[in-house]
Amino acid sequence: MNFNITEEQELIRNNMREFAAKHVEPLAAEIDENSRHPAELFQKLAEGDWMGIPIPEEYGGAGADYLTHIIAVEELSRSCASTGFTLSIHVGIASMLVLLFGTEEQKKQYLAPMARGENLGAFVLTEPGAGTDIMAATTTAQADGEHYILNGTKIFISNGPTAGTYLVFGWTDKSAGRRGMSAFIIPRDTPGMTPGRHFQKMGLRSSQTSEVVFKDCRVPRENLLGAEGAGMTMAMTGFDHGRIGIAAQCVGIIQAALDESLRYSKERVQFGSPISRQQAISFMMADMATELSAARFLTRHAAWLKDQGLPFSKEAAMAKLYSSEAAMRQTVKAVQIQGGYGYCKGAKVERLMRDAKITEIYEGTSEAQRMVISANILR
Amino acid sequence: MSTIIACFKWVVDEAYIRRNSSGSLDFSSVDFKISEYDRNAIEEAVRLRDDHGGTVIAMTVGTPEAAKGVKDALSRGADQACFIADEAFSDLEPSLTAAFMAEVIRGRFADYSLILCGEGSGDLYAQQVGPALAEYLEIPCVSYVQKVSLRGEVLVAERRVEEGIEVVEARLPALVTVCPDVNVPRIPGVRDTLGASKKPVMTLGRADLVFSGGPFLRTVSLTAAPMDRSCERFPADSTGIRSFVDALQKKGVIP
Repeated sequence: MNFNITEEQELIRNNMREFAAKHVEPLAAEIDENSRHPAELFQKLAEGDWMGIPIPEEYGGAGADYLTHIIAVEELSRSCASTGFTLSIHVGIASMLVLLFGTEEQKKQYLAPMARGENLGAFVLTEPGAGTDIMAATTTAQADGEHYILNGTKIFISNGPTAGTYLVFGWTDKSAGRRGMSAFIIPRDTPGMTPGRHFQKMGLRSSQTSEVVFKDCRVPRENLLGAEGAGMTMAMTGFDHGRIGIAAQCVGIIQAALDESLRYSKERVQFGSPISRQQAISFMMADMATELSAARFLTRHAAWLKDQGLPFSKEAAMAKLYSSEAAMRQTVKAVQIQGGYGYCKGAKVERLMRDAKITEIYEGTSEAQRMVISANILR
Repeated sequence: MSTIIACFKWVVDEAYIRRNSSGSLDFSSVDFKISEYDRNAIEEAVRLRDDHGGTVIAMTVGTPEAAKGVKDALSRGADQACFIADEAFSDLEPSLTAAFMAEVIRGRFADYSLILCGEGSGDLYAQQVGPALAEYLEIPCVSYVQKVSLRGEVLVAERRVEEGIEVVEARLPALVTVCPDVNVPRIPGVRDTLGASKKPVMTLGRADLVFSGGPFLRTVSLTAAPMDRSCERFPADSTGIRSFVDALQKKGVIP
């Protein structure tokens, strides 16, 4: 049994740590406050090949494994969970789905620019009436000769306002049930597809979220991703990959909560000594460090299974479930440790706590993860 | 430009050193890194190569664990590495490090034109290896350099000295020790790191060296520097401020 990451992974982690300290940490509070997409930061990430780590070099990526990408997301999220998430969904779902299911032509035309960081990917599935219950989706993709015509409204689409490449899911044959949904690669500015305005959110504020509306949007047949009717299966595969990314984002959040708690508790003096000497506080941090390790091992294990070509759906769900709930628990504690100071704007822990909440909701709620895990163990 | 040699040291990342209650230092969970100013030396070597051509060889002397540092140096743009490694090379004193490197450079990289070192290492900051290496090789040594340029076979270097900036010239081959303001070292991209493993590394051990000298120094002990704080509090009124000033004068902080 080997728990070590490779020398390359360690160096890459250290480089991302340095990158994040230099370029991300100084921006994080401002982009949160202004709910701004830091395009200049993504330009720098692209220059360092961070935007397509697990994508083969022939398709514009760095050609490393998935675990390396996961380690980078973790380190990036430690400085800014929003930026970590944007990278995660761009690589883990949008790019991975084109890599796994795209034709050679699609990989050259759409995957390579994404992997080079020339544009962002978006995963366009959720609808106002279809969250966990994907079958309740109503967006249709009607075949029309060499085209499909898409109609419907998608909601809570991450990278919606900023993406260049949209992976859109709609019914090609509603009567076929789970086998009736298909996926399409739709480039930005395709007539009939309108990304809506960015939503103001509680946390993860610099990640851009919007509606995407389809009104008689004509998409050529060659933009169909995978087989017609394979949309649902591909969406699930996308979730499996993406969930490890969310878990890594959560590990970054917990690590940041611990960093902040250690720093603050050693400096803050009450009753004549630093509060880190109070058992009530030190035990909170002991739990934080323990849950951090557990989350990190679950997350890296899921990524490792993926890299070995082994099944990882259950483990990805476990990693996402545990890490997101631990992130919520521990960021609440981190605010508690900093008291009134931690509750005020400008305290990093305040942002971490707001950022943590969404991780229990998106890319499958905690309840949805439990559905996946229980279905796996009850088989 | 022929060969540029960038020397570096793989040092303990001081952020990970812990202090035990007895004052002794705990290195059990430390991480390592390329010494900060040596990153500047590598960066400068790579910049000069990009401008003038040639080959950059990253060179270090250390224990076999420093192999990761060799990869790190290669990811920063060096073309090849020379790794002089032996279990006995932990805490090597500067005179020996310089002697080993001089022997290897003379024997295997005799066509070098420039050697770059960091001004001092991040752990001991003895500032000895660069000048000692130049002395062994009998070449000019220019220290405290904040700007390097080349004019044919002549090195032009700006040195930061107390009174200002001194511009000096030296015929190549020469050795330069650089200050951190010479450049901003890159943060290697993912491909740079992955590509580092594919670059050639010459690994030499103690048995490959003929130098037979021994150390001049012996480390007797290593403890944390005590920083006792008296932590006196003064009220923020006129009397308090007066006693604060008195206290500072008594301690000789202000005249």
